[in-house]
Amino acid sequence: MRIRDHVELAVANLWKRKLRTLLTAFGVTIGIGALVSMVSFGKGMQKNVTESFQSLDLFNSLTVFSGDFMAGDRFDPDQRSAVTAPTGDARSVLDDAALAKIARLKGVDTVFPEVRIPAVVRLNGRDEFRLVQAIPAGVSVSPMLKFSAGRGFASDEENSLIVTDSLLRLFDLREPRDLLGKKLIISSIGFDFSRLNPAGIAEALSGERLPFETEDTELTVVGVTESQAFAGPLPIQSDVFIPSGVAGRMKKLPFSNVWDIFRAGEGRLGYSALNVRLKSPAFVEPVKKEVSGMGYRVFALVDQFQQVRKGFLIMNMILTAVGMIAIVVASLGIVNTMVMSILERYAEIGIMKAVGASDRDVRRIFFFESSLIGLLGGVFGFALGWVVSGIINGVVNYFLSRQGVPFIRYFNFPAWLVLGAIAFSVAVSLAAGVYPAMRAARVDPVRALRHD
Amino acid sequence: MTGASGSGKSTLLNLLGGLDTPSSGTIEIETRRISEMSREELALYRRSGVGMIFQSFNLIPGFSALENVALPLVFAGMAKKERRARAREGLTRVGLEARAAHRPSELSGGEQQRVAIARALVNRPRLLLADEPTGNLDSRTSREIVTLLAELNRTQGLTVIMVTHEESLAREFAARGVRLSDGRVESEETWR
Repeated sequence: MRIRDHVELAVANLWKRKLRTLLTAFGVTIGIGALVSMVSFGKGMQKNVTESFQSLDLFNSLTVFSGDFMAGDRFDPDQRSAVTAPTGDARSVLDDAALAKIARLKGVDTVFPEVRIPAVVRLNGRDEFRLVQAIPAGVSVSPMLKFSAGRGFASDEENSLIVTDSLLRLFDLREPRDLLGKKLIISSIGFDFSRLNPAGIAEALSGERLPFETEDTELTVVGVTESQAFAGPLPIQSDVFIPSGVAGRMKKLPFSNVWDIFRAGEGRLGYSALNVRLKSPAFVEPVKKEVSGMGYRVFALVDQFQQVRKGFLIMNMILTAVGMIAIVVASLGIVNTMVMSILERYAEIGIMKAVGASDRDVRRIFFFESSLIGLLGGVFGFALGWVVSGIINGVVNYFLSRQGVPFIRYFNFPAWLVLGAIAFSVAVSLAAGVYPAMRAARVDPVRALRHD
Repeated sequence: MTGASGSGKSTLLNLLGGLDTPSSGTIEIETRRISEMSREELALYRRSGVGMIFQSFNLIPGFSALENVALPLVFAGMAKKERRARAREGLTRVGLEARAAHRPSELSGGEQQRVAIARALVNRPRLLLADEPTGNLDSRTSREIVTLLAELNRTQGLTVIMVTHEESLAREFAARGVRLSDGRVESEETWR
C-alpha cells in the first residue's frame, strides 16, 4: 500500500468519526499542552538565570569572606556555646592589606570591598531607607552594571550616584533619564568610636546620648541601571550606588553583623566581604585555592551556578513527570478509541483481508490513524501550551510589574521544543497504537465475514 | 457446489480462496500449493490469484462503488489514477458504469453483487469463488447474476466455483456439479 493511500484512508476514517477523533486528540492536546508549558517554563527560568549570569559577567566573579564569618559550625544549634564569642584568628580579617594581597594574585582583575551603608535616601522630600553600596569607579563601568540611562562614575571621588530603575516608581517618575541630574541626599548614620568606652556605653544604655551621629551628603544622579530580576548573592546588589571614595568620606556604621561591633572595639575591623573580578573564568579555581589558603572563605558564583543548574534539572524532571502523567492518560484514550474502532470495523477488516490486504497493510492502517491523532494532538497541544503560557506570563508580569519587578519571559520555546513536542506526541500515539494494530492484523477474515 | 448447511461448502470455498488454512492435507490451485503458503503469501494470492463474492456482498459501506472495486488495487500499490481507470473498466463490464459514484446503500441487491463481482475480478484472477451469491436476491435478479457469471466464464475463460442451494439454477448453467455431505464429496457429475 502506498503512503499516500494510507494517509488518505486514515484521514477518511478519522473524519467519519469526527467527534470521537476530536475528543481523543483533545486528550493528547491537554497532555502535550501541559508538557510543553512545563518544559518551556523550566527552560525559560534556566535561560533567565544563565543569561543574567552571562550578561553580568558573573562567571569570573569570586566573593571572599573573612574566615570566621559564616563559618558553618558556628551556626550549628547543637554547639551554641561556640557562638558566644568570636574567635576568628587575626589572619582572617579582611582589611586593606588583605585586599592588596589578593589584588596581586595572578588572574585577578579588580578587588573591591563589599561596603553597604545603611542610609536614608531623600528626594523631593520623600525618605526611603536603603542599603547604599559603595563601588569603585572601575566597577561602575564594567558589565556588572547595565545602564538604561546615563553612565558610570568618572572617578572614585565624584559627587555622584547611580540608582536602579526600581527607584523610579518610588519617586513617581517614568523614564530612567528623568532621574539623571536629580540631586539626592544620602543621610548616613555614623558610629562614634570615641564613645565606645564604659562611660559612653552607660550613657547610651540610659538613652541619654546614643553613640550615633547622622550626616547628609548631597549627590547627583549620573546613571540609572536596570534592576536585577535574578535575586542571589550578587556582588552588585543594591538600589543605590555611590563611588567608594565618597563612601570613605561618609560617616557610616562600619559593620554588617553584631561581631563587627566587638571586633571594632578590638580595633581589628575589616570588610565583611571582598568582591573579586577575575580576568577570565579559567582563574576561578587557582585564585579560589590561594585565597582559601590565606584563611578566608571563598565563594564562587560559578559553583552556585552549577547548583542552580542541578536544581533546574530536577525541576525540569518534575515538571516533565507531571506532563507525562497527562500523556499516559491521553495514550490510554487512544488505545480505547482504536480498540473500539477495530470492533466497529471488524467486518471491514475482514473484507480488506479477503481482497488482498496483508497483515502489514492492516497494521499500518491502524498505525497511521493513531499517529494522525497524535499529530493533531501534538500540533494543537503545542498551540495550547504556547497560548496558556503566554497568558500566564502576561498575568504574572502584570502583577509583578506593579511591584517594580522588570518584565521577564518565564517561558522559553526553543525550536526543538516545537518539533520535539509534535514528534513526541506522534511517537506516543504510535506506541498506543501498537496493541490495537496487532489485534487488527490478527483478525480472522473467515470469522469477520460471517459477521452480518 | 451444493449440499446441506454445515456440509462444508463454505469451508471448502474459504480454503480455496486462501482465507482459511487446512489443518491437514494439501491444496493445489494450478501450480500453486496454497496450503503451504505463509500469511503474507496468502494475502498476495487473495489479492491477485483469486476473486471472491459472497451472499452478503461484503462491500465497504462508506466507499462508493468505484472505490469498492478499486480496493484490491490499493493493496497492490497501484497509483490512484490507474486504479480508478481499471475500476471504471470493471464496472463497465458488469454494466454499472452509471452507478460508479453511488454508495452500496444506494444500490439494489443485484447492483451490489455486480459491484462485488467487478471488485473480485479487478486484479484479473483466473478463478472466481462465489459463496451463495444469489442467496439474498430475488429469482429474477439471481438469474441475471448467474447469467453474468456464465458469460464471464464463456468470454474470459474465467473458472467459477459457485456454492448454491438452487440446484435447478446450477444444472442450467454449470458444467459440473459437486454435492458435499458432512465434509466429504458425496457425488460428482458432469452436466455438459
